[in-house]
Amino acid sequence: MTLPIIDRVFPIDPEDLLPAITPDNQQFWDALGRGEAIAQNCDGCKRTRYPIVPVCPYCGGTAWNWKTLSGKGTVFSWVRYVRSYLPEFEDLMPYVVLSVQLEEGARMFGRLLDKLDRDAPISIGAPVEMVIERWPDGRHVPAFRFATKGK
Amino acid sequence: MNPRGAVAIVGAGSPGLFRASPDTPINLAEQAVSRALDDAGLKRSQIDGLIIQIGSPRGTDYDLAASMLGLNVRFAAQPWAHGRFGATVLTHAAMALSWGLADYILCFAAYNNSSFGRHGSKERPSYGESLREGGGPHAETPHAGLTAPVAGAGMAAQRYFHKYGINPGKLAAVPLAFRRHAMLNPEAVMRKPLTREDYFASRYIVEPLRLFDCSVPVDGSVAFILTTAERARDCKKPPIQLLGVQGIHAGPNEFIFGQPGLGVNQSDVFDYKPAGADDLVFRMAGVKPADIDLFTTYDAFSPIVLWALERYGYCKPGEAADWIQNGRIELGGELPVNTNGGFLSAGHFNSWGEILEIVRQLRGEAGERQVRNAELAQWGTVVGDSIIFGRDRTGAKELS
Repeated sequence: MTLPIIDRVFPIDPEDLLPAITPDNQQFWDALGRGEAIAQNCDGCKRTRYPIVPVCPYCGGTAWNWKTLSGKGTVFSWVRYVRSYLPEFEDLMPYVVLSVQLEEGARMFGRLLDKLDRDAPISIGAPVEMVIERWPDGRHVPAFRFATKGK
Repeated sequence: MNPRGAVAIVGAGSPGLFRASPDTPINLAEQAVSRALDDAGLKRSQIDGLIIQIGSPRGTDYDLAASMLGLNVRFAAQPWAHGRFGATVLTHAAMALSWGLADYILCFAAYNNSSFGRHGSKERPSYGESLREGGGPHAETPHAGLTAPVAGAGMAAQRYFHKYGINPGKLAAVPLAFRRHAMLNPEAVMRKPLTREDYFASRYIVEPLRLFDCSVPVDGSVAFILTTAERARDCKKPPIQLLGVQGIHAGPNEFIFGQPGLGVNQSDVFDYKPAGADDLVFRMAGVKPADIDLFTTYDAFSPIVLWALERYGYCKPGEAADWIQNGRIELGGELPVNTNGGFLSAGHFNSWGEILEIVRQLRGEAGERQVRNAELAQWGTVVGDSIIFGRDRTGAKELS
């Protein structure tokens, strides 16, 4: 399943925002470039986990395989930034960061792309879907938007 | 050897905490160390152990601290430069004393915050930790725009409010209580009256947490000297014994600014059932939560106070926001909490100010904010590190 990829335009060149690519996480970041989100799935307890770690946080198993994520999830928690800490996000104020409960089980942080008023309510449990941002340096980053109605 | 009461704090000193101090960390350190030596009635040459919290660039590192302060020690240590290790420094000192690695251990934090950038900004020396494999130490994920420790606490708080159906406005009781305490503490940096109206009119730093839900960064220094219970009785002041201790908990379900089970970072989602009165710190000390006269905790952000109270069994999970209302955590209430004003109003000094407050309260030196007949005090954080302190009742020295 291919997820939508959109270009992210920055007010300044982004710097020091992304973790280094390592042998452990390279496939995750590469997959995003193809419009695909993947996460580790434990061979033992079959639970999906994120972030990328060598040992299953749920059962302690060390054998796992990549699993493709649907990108569908719900709002698990959220915070709203009303002032900027990072110049790359200055133009987005106010913006919301979600903790998303993915339907496969893991949770992932990502920015909410929908532009909301400063005091707009956000419902925990609201359906969201993953969108992939293409950054100017060629990296791809997961983000979320409210699920389109009727889909 | 029974660890209960085997080690005591015999000296404490601090020049105070400041919004911005012109003094360098080593000079701040010297001011605290000299005061602690005087307080204990010890000579500098008697110090043979040193543990420091917060190294360079904000603070002093153990090697130069020893050489610049004229200390010759046979045991030295320094944990990761994060606030969370304040009480752990004292626990490690107690263990080193018990093993005979030193006879008198000096522990201190001396550092400067005011000349560094804001937490969460790239100007902060620790920003690079946000890009660690697996995420930052407070859930920082910069590519998502998720930065600054306050956001991790906010993410956990938002979920906690939802899980238990809590009105976030109930949080106000924490900063309001601590400000009232700070107004009785001449060393607190925030001493102006704070009203409910002020609280609700204050801006969000990162929603759902407001300005007054966030601690006040300070410069400063605090030093303690610890020794064995026998040696402690020859010092100047009544020894304040470590009756029970337990360490920082860590693992997939522990998040620095959230209760287990809330689902922040890798934490699984489940109904948290804390050990409460069965926790090691209470069993070692041989006391129950109801025996504790005052409680101090890591209040970098107001919601984490709720989770600490729940963790140690003062109330049940999900109940703290109601439990703290109507003055229960204020001086004169059932369980005075952070009677010095805490990180929120006295200044964020990583537990050192709050443990100094425990020493003063148990010695009867807390002035206008003295808790009457305070005999047992607990330090305890949301991530499980805790120390129960008590005045040494076996020695000949009695309070005048």
